[in-house]
Amino acid sequence: MKAKFGHTHIFSLVILALTICFSISTNAQTVNNQERIYVKIEIKGMACPFCAFGMEKELKEVAGVENVEIELKAGLAYISTPIKQKPTKKSIEKIITDAGFTVGKIEYSSKPFTIKESQNN
Amino acid sequence: MENANIYVQLIGIPYNITSKFQVGGIFPFKFITPNGTQTTGGFSDMIVFAKYQLYKKDETAKTFRVLANIKQSFPTGKTTSVPPIGSGIYQTYIGLIIGKISTDVGVYGDFGYNITSNKTTDNFLYNFSIGIPLLPQKYPQKQINSYLEFNGNYLINSKIHTFFISPGLQFIPGRRILFETSFQIPVLHENVTTNKTNYMVLLGTRFLLN
Repeated sequence: MKAKFGHTHIFSLVILALTICFSISTNAQTVNNQERIYVKIEIKGMACPFCAFGMEKELKEVAGVENVEIELKAGLAYISTPIKQKPTKKSIEKIITDAGFTVGKIEYSSKPFTIKESQNN
Repeated sequence: MENANIYVQLIGIPYNITSKFQVGGIFPFKFITPNGTQTTGGFSDMIVFAKYQLYKKDETAKTFRVLANIKQSFPTGKTTSVPPIGSGIYQTYIGLIIGKISTDVGVYGDFGYNITSNKTTDNFLYNFSIGIPLLPQKYPQKQINSYLEFNGNYLINSKIHTFFISPGLQFIPGRRILFETSFQIPVLHENVTTNKTNYMVLLGTRFLLN
């Protein structure tokens, strides 16, 4: 009886553990794909790789930004943040202007933008 | 001086007060090894500078900027050694920087008047360079640029005029580092009686520490 109870208990724990794992993985997908906001920023005057490096450093300081992609020839920078930390246009404009560049169009999207230039590190 | 190797390590610390106004300091360490003699080295003349942006026109992947440039050099380098590490004089430079940069070509001009202390002659300095990328510009960079630089110096009182031309190459393998080399040839050596330069080979590297 004691042994039977033990097996049932272990089986329940395994089911519970699997359920938790599954629910964690589902939540991670949700956060990554649905709760991020993608931002495309047109930066005028960013004409050299060292200028782009300076801009990349500043944009990485934006709350929630993990990675910055830059298309130098097109004068574009791409960032994404959790939707709760969505940066305002005004805050982005200030970062670009303070870095010494001129801001163009700022676009937001719930899906990632297509980046033309390859980012081979 | 003939056939000397000079190693200069500059540490530049710029600080942006506003997006238009930058101040900073340049701390140079200089080591000179003349042929057949011992190396003399140490901290050379310290420079503080201020740059103010007078004009800016930004477009997609291109920019045109004009800046006022003021530099003050202090005689912190020793002059007792042979050859000397410092100039032994205070120098105040007032000039203009003009730059037009795009991802296809970069043109840069820098000229100004240098006021010197201790009855040393003032001079007018002018530099001009044009750079062309040999690979398509992208970021992060793996880039090779060719450039042609012109450096002029006119000493007002002694009327000594030197003008050098330097073809060079830059290699930028990563975000924070740049290697460059150039070959400097004198084109004009007006009224120069001593220490004529035959040629100079320049090798350099730049790191962005922060």
